[in-house]
Amino acid sequence: MTNQTRIQLTKVLCAAAVLTLAACASSQKAPATADVAVSKNAVENAVSAGAADLAPAEINLAREKMMRANAALAAKDYVLARELATQAQADAKLAQSKATSAKATAAAAALDADLRVLRQEVERAK
Amino acid sequence: MKSTTPMLLKSVALACAIMLGACSSTPTTTPLLDQARGDFVAANNNPQISSYAPLEFKQASDALELANAAAARRDSMNDIDKLAYIAKQKIATAREVARTKGAEADIANSGKVRDQVRLEARTAEADRAKAAAAAAQAQAAAAQSQAALAQNQAAAAVSQVADAEARTREAQARAAALEAMMVDLQAKKTERGMVITIGDVLFASGQATLTQPGMANLRKLADVLAQNPERTVLVEGFTDSVGAAAYNQDLSERRAAAVRTALTGMGVAPERVAMKGYGKAYPVANNDTPGNRQLNRRVEIVLSNSGSPIAPR
Repeated sequence: MTNQTRIQLTKVLCAAAVLTLAACASSQKAPATADVAVSKNAVENAVSAGAADLAPAEINLAREKMMRANAALAAKDYVLARELATQAQADAKLAQSKATSAKATAAAAALDADLRVLRQEVERAK
Repeated sequence: MKSTTPMLLKSVALACAIMLGACSSTPTTTPLLDQARGDFVAANNNPQISSYAPLEFKQASDALELANAAAARRDSMNDIDKLAYIAKQKIATAREVARTKGAEADIANSGKVRDQVRLEARTAEADRAKAAAAAAQAQAAAAQSQAALAQNQAAAAVSQVADAEARTREAQARAAALEAMMVDLQAKKTERGMVITIGDVLFASGQATLTQPGMANLRKLADVLAQNPERTVLVEGFTDSVGAAAYNQDLSERRAAAVRTALTGMGVAPERVAMKGYGKAYPVANNDTPGNRQLNRRVEIVLSNSGSPIAPR
């Protein structure tokens, strides 16, 4: 192996390493706009499901993280923005499902109470 | 000193290696990851979650897998916590989704339950109506049978009255027949009862033997006694004052006995016929003329009043 070829090989290896690193960093370095948008959508869905009243703790967490994700996006800290967006999305989904289950449970309880009244009326009539 | 330096370096390096080894041998976890694992176990044991929120549970499971993988790689506590947090929220979401679906199933079922309750109520109402109708019917039947009973009682009372009337009529008829017979026998009504006199002419002269007309009169009396079984007779014999007292007493007794024998011979029970001889006592006329003496020679038969004994003379 000549010195020439050794230098050539080193160059190729260096280039490969750089490419690999770049490829690796590309998902991290790309703007997390899409993630933040998805999270924003999740928060809005939760609010329209009544989470502000029915799951205030969860929806506040989601909103706060959304704001911080937006700030990170503006500061081009995409890694943090993506992280916060993911957490905000999880919080928002929980808030929405909590609000929905609270409404469904209340409706079921109301029907149950109606049924109980009906049963009592039937029992009295006997 | 120069020789001790490599020794010191060696020992420091060994200590570092031991510490690192100790560090790496403890499995990496965080309180948040432990909590997420606990939540997952609870969710896994909840049948409602597997049936109502399988998709959400799968997503939670995947998220926890990522956190577990980070822990196995011994990533930083911060990185593990980030993944554990996501997993924990997803598990909670799966639980809420399952709760929603469960409540929705209850709501869907409550209509059916409501119909069932209403059906039961209507059935119970119908049963009550049926029972009331049956009770009314039973009451009507009882009233009917009571009415029938009353009718029967009334009929029995009517027939009893009729029986009593018939008996009364019969008794009246018997009394009338007796009355007629007594007139025929020239009986006299006295306080002791009806008195029939069998005169001297109905006996053979000086004898205790009854003549044919005397027997005919006794036959009529025997018929009366047969028709009036509650009556008894007392036969009393009398004579006139002529002759010895002992003879007269004997004659009166024999004539009374002859009458009694005649009556029992005609079917009258002996215990219904009492008799007594009085001799010349109790004359019905003075013994101064033959006609009067003939009147005194007699047998009197006292027929008791219905049901009462004959008073003695």
